[in-house]
Amino acid sequence: MPSSEASTPTPATSTSNDQLLDLFEHAPCGYLTAGPDGRIDRANRTLSDWLGVEPGQLVGRRFPELLPIAGKIYYETHFAPLLRMQGAFDEVALDLRRGDGTVVPVLVNARERRSADGRTVSLRITVMRARDRRRYEQELLDARRRADAATAELRELTHTLETRVAEELTQRQEAENQLRQSQKMEAIGQLTGGVAHDFNNLLTVILGGLETIERQLATPGKDPLARIGRAVAMARQGALRAATLTARLLAFARRQPLQPKPIDASRLVTGLADLLQRTLGATIALETVAGAGLWPALADAGELENALVNLAVNARDAMPEGGRLTIETSNACLDEDYVAGVPEPLPAGHYVLIAVSDTGCGMDQVALQKAFEPFFTTKDVGKGTGLGLSQVYGFTRQSGGHVRIYSEPGHGTTVKLYLPRCLDTRCVDTVAPQPENQASPRGSETVLLVEDHEDLLAYSVAVLRELGYRVLAAPDAAAGLALLGREPEIDLLFTDMVLPGGVDGRQLAEEARRDRPGLKVLFTSGYARNAILRNGRLETGMDLLPKPFTGEALAARVRAALDR
Amino acid sequence: MSDVLDRHHVHVSGHGARTMVFAHGFGCDQNMWRWVAPAFEDRFRVVLFDHIGAGRSDLSAFDHERHGSLEGYAQDVVALCRALDLRDGVFVGHSVSAMIGVLAARQAPELFADMVLVGPSPRYIDDPATDYVGGFSAEQIEELLDFLDNNHMGWSQNMAPVIMGNGDRPELAEELTNSFCRTDPDIARHFARTTFRSDNRDDLAGLAARALVLQCTDDVIAPESVGRYVHARLPDSQLVLMQATGHCPNLSAPAETVAAIDAFL
Ligand SMILES: Nc1ncnc2c1ncn2[C@@H]1O[C@H](COP(=O)(O)OP(=O)(O)O)[C@@H](O)[C@H]1O
Ligand SMILES: [Mg+2]
Repeated sequence: MPSSEASTPTPATSTSNDQLLDLFEHAPCGYLTAGPDGRIDRANRTLSDWLGVEPGQLVGRRFPELLPIAGKIYYETHFAPLLRMQGAFDEVALDLRRGDGTVVPVLVNARERRSADGRTVSLRITVMRARDRRRYEQELLDARRRADAATAELRELTHTLETRVAEELTQRQEAENQLRQSQKMEAIGQLTGGVAHDFNNLLTVILGGLETIERQLATPGKDPLARIGRAVAMARQGALRAATLTARLLAFARRQPLQPKPIDASRLVTGLADLLQRTLGATIALETVAGAGLWPALADAGELENALVNLAVNARDAMPEGGRLTIETSNACLDEDYVAGVPEPLPAGHYVLIAVSDTGCGMDQVALQKAFEPFFTTKDVGKGTGLGLSQVYGFTRQSGGHVRIYSEPGHGTTVKLYLPRCLDTRCVDTVAPQPENQASPRGSETVLLVEDHEDLLAYSVAVLRELGYRVLAAPDAAAGLALLGREPEIDLLFTDMVLPGGVDGRQLAEEARRDRPGLKVLFTSGYARNAILRNGRLETGMDLLPKPFTGEALAARVRAALDR
Repeated sequence: MSDVLDRHHVHVSGHGARTMVFAHGFGCDQNMWRWVAPAFEDRFRVVLFDHIGAGRSDLSAFDHERHGSLEGYAQDVVALCRALDLRDGVFVGHSVSAMIGVLAARQAPELFADMVLVGPSPRYIDDPATDYVGGFSAEQIEELLDFLDNNHMGWSQNMAPVIMGNGDRPELAEELTNSFCRTDPDIARHFARTTFRSDNRDDLAGLAARALVLQCTDDVIAPESVGRYVHARLPDSQLVLMQATGHCPNLSAPAETVAAIDAFL
């Protein structure tokens, strides 16, 4: 390079060759030119300084050779074609390799000079350093990548959350269904105890009828056809009654979705009374009081029955010594003051009230607080599940109603169910109540027969009379005791264990023996709970004939009891 | 799904009993045939198209799985040629499309009677086990792919749409000065991966059509040894060593390219 030590400022009008050369060599950007074959013929000092080589070392090489491998491939496949097609490219970000192996981030602009026929004549390339810019872009890219990842994660999370919520919901629904079903099965378990008792009575009636027919066919007595006719009627009635019971039980057990419908609560209660009485046992008197002009309620009939069974079972458990259960229906208005004091959202207005009251042990403050919690129970393992009141609560809430317990320890408990009044005038029928006839057969023999089951009583009386016994019949303990007081000659007390009206067969026997110590007793029962046989044993002079029994078995056991 | 011809932004021009299909390589689109294809329009029906993911093709048709192998691109070629009722045509493929053409011809031999392979490479990575020289070491290709994964190569201005997300502001991309060979960075990465990791050496022997191998001087992407290898392995081929330098003789030396193809046909 020519020395310029002695040169003086040159007028702007005559730019010297030296100045132009200096402008080229020391311009604040890299600059190179190449021939038609792409080989570099000139590169400025700025560029060679950046690359850490002598300018001469660049001559003869092609521009892509200054790039690392990735840039080289990209240049050949992207920028070289672009340059040819556009005649130029701008601001292409590339890394140039330095002599020491490091790289310089740069921005590259290129221009092609072409001949008239489109051929490349020469190539001019400027190179700007772009370290800061590249770093900044890299940071933006990284930030974007992080944002993308976060978004993807969020989307994923939302998605999992949504599916989880959906799964959870179905699971919960499933669990609720199962809970409902198991609550129902629990209630059914309670019901079947009562029904089994009844069933055995009915089977006894049916078997007895068959036996009478058999006997009349073998050794016809007086007017055999009439006897057979009576026996057939008795058996048929027993079978029909059994069928009704089974149907009732099956209808109760059926798994059904909640179907709120207009309900006549009074009719539903009377329809259920029969089943409830069996559940309560004979020591608890059931009373139903239907309010006048009762509005229809809107609720699921099956679940309401379930709730009533649960409440009856609780009442029974609260009255081990017997007592009274009252179910009352009435119209109710809950005013703003009342609903304001209720924790759950509850609109003020018209409701149908079903109040279930017992004369049992009542609940203390703690039990009252927790009674509705699922699995809260004060009962022994195997006796309580703690699901009864939670069903009642769940049912009333799902029906848009309200439930409240009033309880006095030592006096009793009232559970009030408020169901929303149905403003739709249609009213769906519930099962019609079963009429219960009372008939006390009379006789003049020495066996006192106490049996609350009418058909069975008639059958047993007939069997014993046919065998020549004098039979006194009573439908319950009170009547039995009255007969005992009146009749001096009674040799055998034959009584059902489970009796209505608050005194059972065992208490009746104890009472009778107080006046007649040697009185022979034969019990019968189809419903053998712990209450019936203490330690599984009976006192001397007492015997048990399990139901169902045949006339033959009855005859044999009565004879044996008398002969003992 | 769009029509196959729309999907590939197909352009048909020229007249002739036979059809000539031009396929662009990695990094470009059908524009790269602008100085070669017109030369054949007087004797051939000329077909130009963009591979899915390139140029003005339907980007939504890009399928990471299908387009994860050259076979998938070849299926595209077969589909579009069938849509054009092609038989005994001429296939002109540049760079990776040379091999895509070979695969397409093997899938549907009735399509092409003549193949022009410009800068073909059946495998870019050296294979010391078989003494094959592809021009790149495995590390170099990994460096390229790595670079693509961590950066959007080259397009400084394209950083804007990359950073702001594709599709958010498509007008930004339209305004860019480097308007040809614009690529979606994600697709470009994928195509690079598919291209530079391919190995189709064993497909050469089964090519039924006659073939012309056009080999440039000083081609970094497909060196002369690779051109010779392709020529040696193809059952019926001619090799022409061109004066043109670089990887794109169709752009840098269109006249020489046209002359060579003409002579072959
Ligand atoms: N009528 C009632 N009288 C006294 N206590 C009751 C009455 N009803 C419920 N409880 C108390 O509430 C508890 C929960 O009742 P519930 O949910 O039906 O479960 P469970 O009867 O299986 O124990 C009972 O264990 C009992 O302590
Ligand atoms: Mg209970």
